Amino acid sequence: MNEELNQKISQFLDNELDHDEALSLLQKMQSRSELINTKNRYEAISHAIKSDVFLAVDPAFSAKISEAIQQEPTYLLSRNKKPVRRPSPKLLALAASVAVVAVLATQNMNNPAERVKTSSILQLAQRPIAEQQIAKQSPIKQPSQSVVNTHKTEPYPLNARINDYLQAHDNSVYTHGEVNAEPMTRVTAYSQE
Amino acid sequence: MTAVLKFFFLALFLSSGAVNAEDSSLTIPHNTNGKDVLIKMTQAMKTLNYQGTVAFLKNGRLEPMKYFHAVEKGVEQERLLSLNSPLREIVRDADRVSCLFKARHQLIVDHRPFERSFLIDIPANLDALDAIYNITVVGEEDVAMLPALVIAIQPKDNFRYARKIWVEKQHFLPLKVLVYNLANEAIEQLVFTELQLKETLPLVDVKFLNAVNPPPPVHPLPIQKSDQANFVLANLPQGFQELFFTRKPIHNSDEQVDHLLMSDGFASVSVYMENKNAASQPELYGQGSVQSIGTVNFISRTLGDFEFTVMGEVPAETVKLIADGIKLRDLKN
Repeated sequence: MNEELNQKISQFLDNELDHDEALSLLQKMQSRSELINTKNRYEAISHAIKSDVFLAVDPAFSAKISEAIQQEPTYLLSRNKKPVRRPSPKLLALAASVAVVAVLATQNMNNPAERVKTSSILQLAQRPIAEQQIAKQSPIKQPSQSVVNTHKTEPYPLNARINDYLQAHDNSVYTHGEVNAEPMTRVTAYSQE
Repeated sequence: MTAVLKFFFLALFLSSGAVNAEDSSLTIPHNTNGKDVLIKMTQAMKTLNYQGTVAFLKNGRLEPMKYFHAVEKGVEQERLLSLNSPLREIVRDADRVSCLFKARHQLIVDHRPFERSFLIDIPANLDALDAIYNITVVGEEDVAMLPALVIAIQPKDNFRYARKIWVEKQHFLPLKVLVYNLANEAIEQLVFTELQLKETLPLVDVKFLNAVNPPPPVHPLPIQKSDQANFVLANLPQGFQELFFTRKPIHNSDEQVDHLLMSDGFASVSVYMENKNAASQPELYGQGSVQSIGTVNFISRTLGDFEFTVMGEVPAETVKLIADGIKLRDLKN
């Protein structure tokens, strides 16, 4: 039996076995280590016969290579592609808010006249309440005094009404530097016949 | 040696405690009553001649002004000069407030019988506030390089804001006033950066304020009885009392508006009532929900053919409570 296998190993090295026989031999060599040693020995003899130089090969050399290959980790996932995370809606909202603030801040920086303005009571009163509500619902909490938009908007009739109420309520229109004097004239009308 | 060191550190510890105790109690007499200090302050504000630079801070806006208080033969006059634009001069003679806008030479005259000072109004009867405020001396600090007593006016409920007043120790003039919201954040402040007492200060005649556009003559605000109002308030937080009621045109129209002003001594709330305006857009004002303009909270609601608005420098819960309690008066009865 061994003689027959040794013969086939020799034929294998001389490339004389057909495909099926070579495959059968390799399967047997995988399960029987002495056949691998025989193949290595025959290979060395053949190399020595065919050339003048003989290099003694450590019998365990190929085994060590095989073992090293076996121990290489197997990457089931592609190492080139990073896992794609889907950003949460909160992160998207935050990013959008930061972008808006950056744009507004840049606009303010570019316009010094606007930069120093803060909205007064009167200006706030003249903003449509719907606009104020939107400002309140903004994810970026801003104190009412730091409202960036100081552009005058067309006041609604009710807006002027609240404005008049504010001035009739207390005297802060005088002490807190409300810049829009027009509503004050209504205060005058309020206290005159 | 160890015993000596122990004794040294013990003495050091006790002496530091003694210093702290001196800071907190010895310089403030134990019998110093916060209300007494405020009474003295009210008297000083009325009778002394003084001037200084005062900064008003509200809604994120800083407004520095020159302040003058003059008294001559019992007649008081308060005057403010703005240091920043819009330049204006404001004079209070009793209940009449005149404001000259210098750039436009425009004079505006207002009648405000319910206010006495641009700085702070202290109620005449502080004992009446015992049920709603604790008024105590809580410390001493320097303001404008002047030693001052710190008076805390702490509400006993959440329907009003806390205040602190820094009262100069020698002449009992107010140097600083702070208003705190329910989160104990300062929402309004006035502070003197310098204050001087004067033997005399001249009274300014408003006629000489050189207005190109003088206003029409001012007539006193017709104060009426609140029982003439078409509404009653069923929910009123403790301590709030009527200051005045009037029915006058407020807007640039002949439309009559009922205005009821109430105060608990420090905080004030106004209730306005006018006919429902078909052209108005009440939904824009979020009727039924409290809105804020700076430190003022207000809420609007419709009742029958009338629109009501409650506003004041009080917490949102307070204006909502008052608004919820508005009822139309049954005039037949």
